[in-house]
Amino acid sequence: MNLPASDRAPAARTWVGLGIALGVAAAGLALRLALAPILAERTVFLFFVPAVVLASAYAGLWTGVFATVLGVAGGAYATSRTGALDLGDVVSAAIFGVVCASIVTGGEWFQRARREALSVNRDLAEREARLQSLIDTAPDALIVIDEAGVMQSFSKAAERLFGWPAAEAIGRNVSILMPEPDRSAHDGYLGRYYSTGERRIIGVERVVTGQRRSGETFPMELAVGEVRTARGRMFTGFVRDLSERQAAEARVQALQSELVHISRVTAMGEMASALAHELNQPLTAINNYLKGSTRMLARPAPDLQRLVEALSKAGEQALRAGEVIRRLREFVARGETERRIESLRSIVEEASALALVGAAEKAISVSFSYDPAVDQVLADRVQIQQVVLNLIRNAVDAMGENCRRELAVKIAPGDEGMALLSVADTGPGVSPDIADALFTPFVTTKAEGMGVGLSISRTIVESHGGRIWAEPTPGGGATFRFSLRTIDIGETAHG
Amino acid sequence: MADGVVHVVDDDPAVRDSLAFLFEEAGLEARIYEGPSALLEVREGLAAGCILTDVRMPDMTGLDLVRRLRAEGVNHPVVVMTGHADVPLAIEAMRLGVSDFIEKPFDDEQLLGSIQAALRAGVALSQRETDRSAILERTASLSGREAEVLAGLVAGKPNKVIAFDLGISVRTVEVHRAHVMMKMNARSLSDLVRMSLIAEQQSEPK
Repeated sequence: MNLPASDRAPAARTWVGLGIALGVAAAGLALRLALAPILAERTVFLFFVPAVVLASAYAGLWTGVFATVLGVAGGAYATSRTGALDLGDVVSAAIFGVVCASIVTGGEWFQRARREALSVNRDLAEREARLQSLIDTAPDALIVIDEAGVMQSFSKAAERLFGWPAAEAIGRNVSILMPEPDRSAHDGYLGRYYSTGERRIIGVERVVTGQRRSGETFPMELAVGEVRTARGRMFTGFVRDLSERQAAEARVQALQSELVHISRVTAMGEMASALAHELNQPLTAINNYLKGSTRMLARPAPDLQRLVEALSKAGEQALRAGEVIRRLREFVARGETERRIESLRSIVEEASALALVGAAEKAISVSFSYDPAVDQVLADRVQIQQVVLNLIRNAVDAMGENCRRELAVKIAPGDEGMALLSVADTGPGVSPDIADALFTPFVTTKAEGMGVGLSISRTIVESHGGRIWAEPTPGGGATFRFSLRTIDIGETAHG
Repeated sequence: MADGVVHVVDDDPAVRDSLAFLFEEAGLEARIYEGPSALLEVREGLAAGCILTDVRMPDMTGLDLVRRLRAEGVNHPVVVMTGHADVPLAIEAMRLGVSDFIEKPFDDEQLLGSIQAALRAGVALSQRETDRSAILERTASLSGREAEVLAGLVAGKPNKVIAFDLGISVRTVEVHRAHVMMKMNARSLSDLVRMSLIAEQQSEPK
C-alpha cells in the first residue's frame, strides 16, 4: 500500500470495527436474553445480524468474520439457555453463517469501493489543486465562458487584469470585459458562430482591446479554445495583457517605425540632395536658354533659327525636370508592397492597439465602430497600419492639452464600393494656414516632428487607389479620413 | 566689357550648351568642357579669362579641379556653381580662393555679374603675369655681378656695404647699379624693389 499518510487509519478502523462487533453482539445477546420469555426459541440468530452488518460495513472482511463468529457463539449460548441444542439449531446456525458470509462479503466490497473512491477523490483533488495553482500563477488570465457567454471561471490573473473579483465576475456576461462596440456585439458573435460555424477568433491569436472595471481600455492578446462538455460548449480564453509588455514593445516598435521613418527620411534626404542637383540642372538650362533668348530678342535683328533651337531645347529640359519628379514619386511609393485580401477591421484593431498604448494615461476615451459590409480590402497590411498608426498618433498628440479628449475610429461605407476609415479627435483642429500644406512633405506643427507622416500616408493611400483628406470634427477638432477600395462582397460572402 | 574667355566646365550637356548660348548672347566668348579632365588636358595654353565650374561632377569635384589647377600654376579666377550650397562647401571654396560661389538655378544678371568680375580679375591677373614674365626676362639679362648688386639693393644695403660685401669699389657698385636700373627699366629704386618682389613672390607656386 502506498498511502503513507493514511496508513494508520485502516488499522484503527479494524480495532474500532472489532469493538463495534463485540459491543453490538453483546447488546444483541443481552436483548435476546431479556426477550427470552416472549420469544422462547424463535429468532435467536437474528439478534446478531446488526453486529455483523455494522462491523463489516465499518471495517470490512475480518471484523465481519469476527462478528459472525461472535453471533454463532452468542446464538448457541442463547439457544442453550432455552433447551438442548438440536439439529434445527445447528441448521439455523449454519444458515446464519451463510447469510453473514454474504453480508460480510458485501461489506468488504463496500469498504473497497469506499477506499477506491477515497483515493480517486484524493487524486482528483490533488490534480485540481495543482491545476488551480497553475492557473493562479500563470501570467496569462484565464476565463471560461459557457455557451451563453456567461463567465464560469475567472483566474487570479484575470482578477488583476480586469479589476473584477472572481466572485463578482463569475455569472456575468463576458462582454463586461470589452469596450464598445464589441460589448454589445459579443452575444451576436457567439450566435453567428453557432449558426455559421465560422471561426473568427477560436484557434487564432488576435490582438484586441479589453476594458478594465475602471473603464480603462488596454491592448490584449486573446486566444480562445473551445471545449465540448456534457453541459454544452465552453470557451476558454487566454488573455495576455499587452499594455505593460506592449508599452515596452510598442516603444521598441515606435522606435522601429520611427527608424523606418528616419531611414526613409534619410533616404529621402539623400535622394532629395541628389534630386536637387538633378532638378537644378534642367532648371538652370531652361533659365539660361530663356534668358539668352530674351537677350537675343532685345537686339534689332534676332537670329530666329537660333531662337527656335534655344526654345525647343528649353522645352526638352522642362520635360526632363518632370521626369526627375516622376522618379521621386516612384521612389517614395516604392517598397516591397505585398497586397492581400485583408480585414480592414483587424488591420485597424491591431494598429490602434499599438497606437493607443499610453492613451489611457492621457485619459483619452476611445470609441470604435465598424461596418462589416466594408471589411475586406486588398491592401498591404503593414502600410495601411502605418497610415492608421500615423493618424491615431497625430490625434492623440493633438489632444495633449485639451480638456475634452475623445477619439473616434470608424469604418463606414464610402462611395462606389470604397471603405471609409475616419479618425476623429477633439483637439484644436487644423489651423487654416497649414491646411493646404497638410500632406506636403516636411511641413509639421510638432516640435520634434519631421513632417513626413501625412505625406507618406498620402502616398500609401493613393498607391492603394484611395484618397486621404482632413475635415473639421463637428463640435471642434480634426477628422482625417481615407478611402480604400473594398473587395466585392459577393466574392467572399460564401467563402 | 571685360576681355577673356569663359571656360565652362559642367558634366551636364544641357547646362553647358545653355550656358554657352547665354554667354554668346551676352557678348562673351565661351568654351565648354565636358568635365574637369577635359579642362586639365588643355591647361597649358588656357586662354586668358575665367573658369566657371559645377561642383558635383562624376570624375572630380569642381573644388578638386580648382586645387589641381592651382597646383599646376593655372591661376585663372574661378566661379563655382552648385545646386546644393551648404556652408562647409562655401567655406572650402572661399579658402581655395574662388572668386564667386553661385547657386543653381541662378539669375542671368547675377551669373553675368560674377563672370564679369572674374574676367576683370583675370585680366588684371594676366596683366600681372605679363609684367612678371617681362621682369623675369629682364632679370635674366643681368650679369652675375649685376644680379649680386641687385640683391644687395633689394635688401636695402647702401652702396658702401654692397662694395664691402662683394669686395669691389664703391665706384664699381655705382656703375653696376646704373646698368641694373637701365636693364630692368626701373624709374627708381622703389620701382626696382617692387619688380624684384613680383618676380620672387609669383614664382613661388611653381
